Amino acid sequence: MRSQSGLVTGLLFSVVTVYAISFASLNATMTSTVVSGMLWVALLFSSSASLPRIFLSEEELGTGDLLRLTARPHAIFWGKSLFNCFQCVVTGTILSVLYLGFTSKAIAVPWLFAVSLVAGCLSLAGAVTLCGAIASQAANRAVLSAAIAVPLLLPLVSLGVSAVRVSLGLHVRHEDVGSLTEGIGAAIGLVGYAGVTLATGPWIYSAVWRS
Amino acid sequence: MLKVDRLGKKYLGRWIFRGLSFELGAGDRLVILGHNGSGKSTLLRTIAGLTAKTEGTVTLPDGDPRWTLGLCALEQALYGQLTVAEHLELTADLRGCPARVDELLEKVNLGYASAVPASQLSTGMKARLKLAMAIQPEPKALLLDEPGAGLDEEGRNLVDRITSEQSARGCLIVATNDPLERRLANLELQLA
Repeated sequence: MRSQSGLVTGLLFSVVTVYAISFASLNATMTSTVVSGMLWVALLFSSSASLPRIFLSEEELGTGDLLRLTARPHAIFWGKSLFNCFQCVVTGTILSVLYLGFTSKAIAVPWLFAVSLVAGCLSLAGAVTLCGAIASQAANRAVLSAAIAVPLLLPLVSLGVSAVRVSLGLHVRHEDVGSLTEGIGAAIGLVGYAGVTLATGPWIYSAVWRS
Repeated sequence: MLKVDRLGKKYLGRWIFRGLSFELGAGDRLVILGHNGSGKSTLLRTIAGLTAKTEGTVTLPDGDPRWTLGLCALEQALYGQLTVAEHLELTADLRGCPARVDELLEKVNLGYASAVPASQLSTGMKARLKLAMAIQPEPKALLLDEPGAGLDEEGRNLVDRITSEQSARGCLIVATNDPLERRLANLELQLA
């Protein structure tokens, strides 16, 4: 089941994160590298705070059996993934607008920023949903979820930071953020990452569905 | 119709049951008796595929289990924020079968509560709703775990009617520790 609580949690977390970062860097000059890194930290934590719950809550409430008796695993995974994607894109967009507004950072390549943000949010939603889906079937959920999340999310964060850094800092004097080609390469990597996690997720979830 | 062959379940190094074999045909009604903790509910969950078996095989009726198998269990949870009618619509959507909301609610005497959220239902009303969800696809095999628990006399009569209807449609397994529920079955299995 989907509820508004996850969306509200994500949004509240985003607002608090933006406020905290902005307050901490009030008189500091924020380079594109720092801004993109902090933006991804905020995105990562706001999604990690709410997205995996979508599967865990079914097991904790005991409604997982009802779903197993009546639904195909693919349908459950897709339903929950799409909701998480929507939630992550909405949260990411609001977070980016607030964050860039507070830091007064201009976007040098808007289309690259938009593609990176949307693909990054979809990748993040896909990866975190997959972690939650796998961990929900385990006895020691918290540890397993963290153990799966680290190797899954590290390459994603690297790609996301690279793409956003280029989109913010390209052609900005005194900033070496890499070339546009590198930014496009990272954005393509994000699109591919989103495709792989969302395409393989249902199959992996099917395998652990009745275990 | 439903075949269990040398089924075994081991949990924490102890066999809960082992070497269970039986075959049910159309019209067969099996009651599984046993004291608390004897493994009745685990057996039903294993047959339904909700719990992994350790050994043996379970052959369910031909077709998609979402349509051919119904399970009503005491510990089954409901979505507190969904109403009675919404539960039936949800399970019908997931199964891909007709919802039959009015018909089912009339059958389990819950029509007056169709708009009530599950969180506000009494234990007996929840049991009726779970029965309605279990029989929604008109399954060939119906598994009932302690079907009389939490029900009043009228509710127990409802269980009698549903089990009779199931006899005409397929097979039935009832797990219970209430000897009175032997009346629901024509076959018995005692778990030690």
